[in-house]
Amino acid sequence: MNIGEMTLIELADNIKAGKVSSYEATKYYVDKCKEKASLNAVLEVFDDALDKAKEMDEKIKAGFKGKLAGVPVIIKDNILYKDKIASCSSKFLEKYVAQYNSTVVEKMLNEGAVIIARANMDEFAMGSSTENSAFGVTKNALDPTRVPGGSSGGSACAVAAGLAPVALGTDTGGSIRQPASYNGVVGIKPTYGRVSRYGIVAFASSIEQVGPLTKTVKDNAYMLEVLSGGSEHDETSLKIDVPDFLSQIKGSVKGMKIGVLKEIESMIGGLEVENAYRQALQYLKDNGAEIVDVSIPSFSLTLPCYYIIAPAEATSNLGRFDGVKYSRRSAEAKDIDEIYVISRSEGFGKEVKRRIMLGNFVLSSGYFDAYYNKAKKLQQKLKNEAKEAFAKCDVLLLPTTTGEAFKIGEKANDPVSMYKEDLFTIMANILGAPAISIPYGKGKNGLPLGIQIVADCLNEGLVYNVADFIEKGYRG
Amino acid sequence: MSNKITIEEVKRLAGLSALEFSEEELEAFIPEFESMLELVDEVKNCDIGEVEVDYARHSLAECREDEPKESLPQEEILLNSPKTKKGSFCVPKMLD
Amino acid sequence: MQDFDIVIGLEVHAELKTNSKVFCSCKNQFGQAPNTNCCPVCVGLPGALPVINKKAIELVIKAGLTMGCEINELAIFERKNYFYPDLAKAYQISQLVRPICLGGHIELKDKDVRLNRIHLEEDAGKLVHGTQAIGTLIDYNRGGVPLMELVTEPDITSADEAVEFLTKLRQKLIYAGVAECKMEQGGMRCDVNISVKPKGSDKLGQRTEMKNLNSFKSVYRAINYEANRQIEIIKNGGQIVQETRKWDDNHEKSISMRKKETSSDYRYFPDPDMLAVEIPREDVERIRKSLPLMPDQLKAKFINEYGLSEYESDILTKEKDLADYYNDVLSHYNQPKIVSNWILTEILNKVKDEESEEIKISPCDLAKILKLVEDKTVTRTNAKEMLTRVWENGEKVEALVKEFGGNVDEEALKTLVENIIKNNPKAVEDYKTSDTPEKVFRWFTGQVMKETRGKANAAKAEEYIRELLK
Repeated sequence: MNIGEMTLIELADNIKAGKVSSYEATKYYVDKCKEKASLNAVLEVFDDALDKAKEMDEKIKAGFKGKLAGVPVIIKDNILYKDKIASCSSKFLEKYVAQYNSTVVEKMLNEGAVIIARANMDEFAMGSSTENSAFGVTKNALDPTRVPGGSSGGSACAVAAGLAPVALGTDTGGSIRQPASYNGVVGIKPTYGRVSRYGIVAFASSIEQVGPLTKTVKDNAYMLEVLSGGSEHDETSLKIDVPDFLSQIKGSVKGMKIGVLKEIESMIGGLEVENAYRQALQYLKDNGAEIVDVSIPSFSLTLPCYYIIAPAEATSNLGRFDGVKYSRRSAEAKDIDEIYVISRSEGFGKEVKRRIMLGNFVLSSGYFDAYYNKAKKLQQKLKNEAKEAFAKCDVLLLPTTTGEAFKIGEKANDPVSMYKEDLFTIMANILGAPAISIPYGKGKNGLPLGIQIVADCLNEGLVYNVADFIEKGYRG
Repeated sequence: MSNKITIEEVKRLAGLSALEFSEEELEAFIPEFESMLELVDEVKNCDIGEVEVDYARHSLAECREDEPKESLPQEEILLNSPKTKKGSFCVPKMLD
Repeated sequence: MQDFDIVIGLEVHAELKTNSKVFCSCKNQFGQAPNTNCCPVCVGLPGALPVINKKAIELVIKAGLTMGCEINELAIFERKNYFYPDLAKAYQISQLVRPICLGGHIELKDKDVRLNRIHLEEDAGKLVHGTQAIGTLIDYNRGGVPLMELVTEPDITSADEAVEFLTKLRQKLIYAGVAECKMEQGGMRCDVNISVKPKGSDKLGQRTEMKNLNSFKSVYRAINYEANRQIEIIKNGGQIVQETRKWDDNHEKSISMRKKETSSDYRYFPDPDMLAVEIPREDVERIRKSLPLMPDQLKAKFINEYGLSEYESDILTKEKDLADYYNDVLSHYNQPKIVSNWILTEILNKVKDEESEEIKISPCDLAKILKLVEDKTVTRTNAKEMLTRVWENGEKVEALVKEFGGNVDEEALKTLVENIIKNNPKAVEDYKTSDTPEKVFRWFTGQVMKETRGKANAAKAEEYIRELLK
């Protein structure tokens, strides 16, 4: 079998078995990254990747058996890997060299991963198309005239285009699942706290998570197990045992209760994704699952709720990019106030500025209660409503997006229509719930669509089981 | 409520944000910002009744023990700094 | 000034006595090379997250319990957002809505000053303003040092009261082991809110705030200056402007700071990187039980149990170090009155002479010397000499005993006494006929001590003299 055809698990097994060396695998993928540079999926291929692979081969020969022993991995550019640049696709951090390893990088390295490149993204993870990258848009892996989605567009494209068997993304409002859907790959946003955020450049701390993008559901479960687990550096990470997610994939959905949201039913009519969504439901029903009508009455408010909480946190999180301690300081600045204002105004892109401004609006005196506090209450209300819904079903089935990937430039001048890209994905972030997107169906132009499976917090096992079952029944 | 936002308001927010916009940028920014406000106003205008926010929490006993650990070396701390002097980050002289 | 009431509220910051910082494990340590007690959290590196120090919370609870505060069952940490180069993250983690402690009070001689709250927050880094060529240097070692902020109600009405309040507060914090309050290192700082109003009026005047006063003397002077300034303005028909003013200790005046400060909007919101902290009642009780006696309680104990005077107790309890020293000596030599006498005279005189705080003899050594006096191995005079030698040269008490007493052997002592009696027949006669034989007896013991340069065991010498004079 060709290295590029192997799943992550197959590649890991083959390397461990000595059938493929880490060097061969790494060389293969590094070459692919270079060969497909026009996709602009990766910002940098690390020049020490092949050396690291050789080191891993030595270790493997000596008996090392990490879950990712010798496996090449691509990381999103907001994940710190010591001594490597982490720019968040921002001019501000263009030359920022990570001074420490993020927890997820630490965990992957402990399992023997070879990190080969950093992937393009929307600047500071703000966006749904990767068009907000300061270093150029990434192209959709299946149609170069279209966006790969975002903000983890580079990571999703990389997996779809065969630049790596797995890539890490981050998901604050759909930033793993929407690009996964647009590129026809699998992406999960785990339960909030499942994966430590230590060393992830923060956008909206209370709702974002790191997660893997892979070719298959099983690969995804395998990878998430590596990434999961609490960190002493992160209060919000969950200090609980990491389950064996793979073992929770049972190969059956018989007797499972699949929830259908009344609110989705009322929105989906006429959308490009409608058919795929209905077919997936029918497929599960045909295989012994029970379809249950449930409701999260405030569903339609998840989007505006998100656009209060996320910008508020982002405004504060991005304050540290002030030109004093690291990276960009404007050459024009003559005093401290100019260092702040000019460095930031030059260093941040439009969308980042918009969200900083919106965040300051909802937090500022006179507006705080009407916006920020109200949004936090609304978030609580949504959690209460979801609790009732999950009392009646095991998982919810939702579309990931309204349709297939849109054209580059199509929504560039209409921020709010871009925000609506995340209509179906944001709920999971607001709830802190695990949600996966898997390819299902095709759009008007034959491009992939995605189906989302959402479970109550900590139930990634249920999510993976249903996702795997749908994946097996769908041969796109 | 209308979402019209005044120039003064935008300038106040820019001040809090440590950002500046040229007149030209403002022209494009204001209508975009207004449409964003229209979106978030859905929250302001909705009726959610009485809700008690349940804060994510841990107990005092679960907090970190007071045991010092090694810090990073000074040169590592200053690694990405645009300007350093005498082991310190450096900015133009400020009035205190 | 007599026509006006002064209304003062204080905000006091004290650095907490922890080993590590409040949101990371870097050392909480003063006086290190710049940016050497720093980690990703201290410098606000991307991706760094705060992890709260349990001890810091416990110390704030402790402080609150010594002042009768209510301890919140759930404490929330918020971000206070503003740009300033000493603030690495562009926000300070502090507490607004649910501080650790609420209410409480501190008793002064004539009144209770009510407290509004005590909360936990982080200190900022330090700016060193150099020349134009050097610029301003930033050191984040202090960034993230745990600070408690105590806010009073506006119950204080004079500079004297403010200083009395701060003295009491400082004493409590040091006694409880909450803070060291080293003012000269910025370990305790005070902001003063002050307004004036016509005597007896109910209507509060416009207030001004003076920030970062770092000595009691500056607080005293700043309050008097500012009260007078405000009164003069009002008398001249002017209006007080609400503003932050900076106290200039060198020129003894306050100056208006840039108005920008007062118009700031800190946009507090709960820190999404942090969990709220539940403070179970059992923990509060555990901490309450661990509290040492506070100065007032200790003073009462000294008076009631040890029979010390009010004056003595006052001096012994004023500084915790001295009270601890006293208690330590007592643990080796349980004679409260004698120990108190020695400390108040000999020890404090030495401390005063040297203008230092340090007591250069260990409680154990002082106890040893006092025991030697008690069993008359050495005389009081020699004991003082021994104390001086230990103090100044660090000599060992055991070695000094050989020099100052107990080293004249019994035979030699007996012979000496015999000789003295033989050589002084007139005195022997006096002893037998005098109305005050004890006086003559003391003359004999004095002779023995003179001959032995004080080294004889006084008890033994007396025994022999009495025997031979029979």
